[in-house]
Amino acid sequence: MARLPGLVTASALALAAAIAPASAQEALHVAWYGGNWGDAFKACVADPFTKATGVAVVPEVGTSTVTLAKLQQQKDAPTIDVAWMDGGVSELAEAAGVLAPITEKGVPNLKDALPQAVYSNANGTYAVGTGYYSLGLTYNTKEIPQAPTSWNDLWKPEYADAVTIPSPANSSGVPFLFFLHKIWNAPAGDFAPVFAKIKELKPALFFDSSGAASNAFQSSEAIIGAHFNVGAFDLAAKGLPIGFTVPKEGVWATDARLHLVKNAPRAEMAQKFIDTALTPAASQCLAEKLFLGPSVKGVNVSPETAAKLPWGAKGSVETLYLLNWTEVNAKRAELVDTWNREIARK
Amino acid sequence: MIAPRTTLALLLFAPLAFFAAFFLAPMAVVALASFTTDEGGLTFAHYARILLDQYHWDVLWVTFRIALATTALCLLIGFPLAWYLVRIVRWRSWRRACVILIVVPLFTSNIVRSFGWMVLLGRTGLVNQGLMGMGLTERPIRFLGTETGILIGMVYILMPFVVLSVGNALAKIDTALEDASADLGVGPARTFWFVTLPLCLPGAVSGAIMVFALAVSAYVTPALLSGGQITVFSMLIFQQYSSVFDFHYGGALSVTLLVLTLVLVTLAGRVGERGRRAA
Repeated sequence: MARLPGLVTASALALAAAIAPASAQEALHVAWYGGNWGDAFKACVADPFTKATGVAVVPEVGTSTVTLAKLQQQKDAPTIDVAWMDGGVSELAEAAGVLAPITEKGVPNLKDALPQAVYSNANGTYAVGTGYYSLGLTYNTKEIPQAPTSWNDLWKPEYADAVTIPSPANSSGVPFLFFLHKIWNAPAGDFAPVFAKIKELKPALFFDSSGAASNAFQSSEAIIGAHFNVGAFDLAAKGLPIGFTVPKEGVWATDARLHLVKNAPRAEMAQKFIDTALTPAASQCLAEKLFLGPSVKGVNVSPETAAKLPWGAKGSVETLYLLNWTEVNAKRAELVDTWNREIARK
Repeated sequence: MIAPRTTLALLLFAPLAFFAAFFLAPMAVVALASFTTDEGGLTFAHYARILLDQYHWDVLWVTFRIALATTALCLLIGFPLAWYLVRIVRWRSWRRACVILIVVPLFTSNIVRSFGWMVLLGRTGLVNQGLMGMGLTERPIRFLGTETGILIGMVYILMPFVVLSVGNALAKIDTALEDASADLGVGPARTFWFVTLPLCLPGAVSGAIMVFALAVSAYVTPALLSGGQITVFSMLIFQQYSSVFDFHYGGALSVTLLVLTLVLVTLAGRVGERGRRAA
């Protein structure tokens, strides 16, 4: 509905960008997400980078999928140099052939990244993680004073009509199904038991955006459910009675990764930017601002922040359930289709 | 001096170029994707997948049912409102204030307004608190995740289109026609039915078409107010583009919705045309 004016504005901006003078070329173009994520990337990485090099950073705001679409459109003559994309989309970008390998020669700090955060294939390293976030058990501390201990608590009768989990329109929807499949020990490749159990769930809503989840928790529409540690602790920081816990089955997690764009017009500066993001200072800053679990060795965070990291107070990157995205992407269409037919209709 | 024809061509060129670049080109990309495979070959498989599957027809029926109900309710509520503004309000500044009140919400993002309804219609929201406070219901009524909830949000957001178009038509009616009807001994009800209503039918039809087209393609409001428990067609399209990344199937879904909507809107236009001729 408000789509058309938005499109016109976007188109006008695109046109303006296309005919902008070439003198703006010096600035580095970095794709990142909107909202508090973009603010944190700017404060923790872009600002220090600009301070050190004198090169300005122009943000290209969009979700991971939008960024991938942009990269595919401008494959022949890219304008974006560096791109943040989430796990899952990162693999798709590599398959689409829009990424250039990241090397220790260009990015010396790569050697300090956790081995789990360096994503490589036969072509070399195509992505490097800049911080983990997880989808954990989030609850209203006023309604539920005792922290829940299991994902199965969502099916408790007292929480009927007040539960939320992601829908497949959300980037965490399909991965969450894989996670449930794993913790319930369902037979390999068979998601029927997972769907059967979700069908029994009495939800308030299946959220399709992280904002909708935050809104539901804020208005007490949902009092228990799945939410990202980033969103849950953001609500808690605003003084709302929201708790986030890592139940005994663990949590599913993914990461925001940096990518060097193939044929990036400012490749040298782009590598320097990635190098800046992999410093302990940047990683610590992202942990303090977004509660991202550091993907760089030797990062010290305050005890207060440590409790808010994706793996909870006691865990580490080892205890996170990280997905094999190739497997997930292969099954994505099928699971979304089954969800639509089985769950999202009355 | 430039010849008038050249001026005209120049004046036409800019909007035409804009239309081609930002409307036709993206549309062509979507349509093209819907007829091709990943390898670039021509195929109708994506359409077969949609049209031969009862599930898609079920979702289409839900989508059109919600859109039709939205249109009907907007007309039902919007018409009296327009009547009040044009015929009853005598004080000019009050009328102006009312029009502003109706138009201002259009300046606010749909997302914000839909979130607002989520809060109002929620389990512990204002509507349920009111209903329970008045003793009308013991337990909170479920609005979110129901078609009723979606309908409330859509009618609120789309109503201004009906009020403005019907109001415009009403204001243009020569009241002498109604006086003539009364002079000829016809009662107010019959005058309204045989004179006034047919004369504002074109306005009502254009308002209804706008509301219907916007309701069929609406994404934000149904997505937020359905709580993911009711699926409308635009949500299927969004899923394909946002999380499945199948632009071929997604494109075919988009074209299907576009074509079916155009067919229905054309039919409605015909009805409006006939109504005008009858009047």
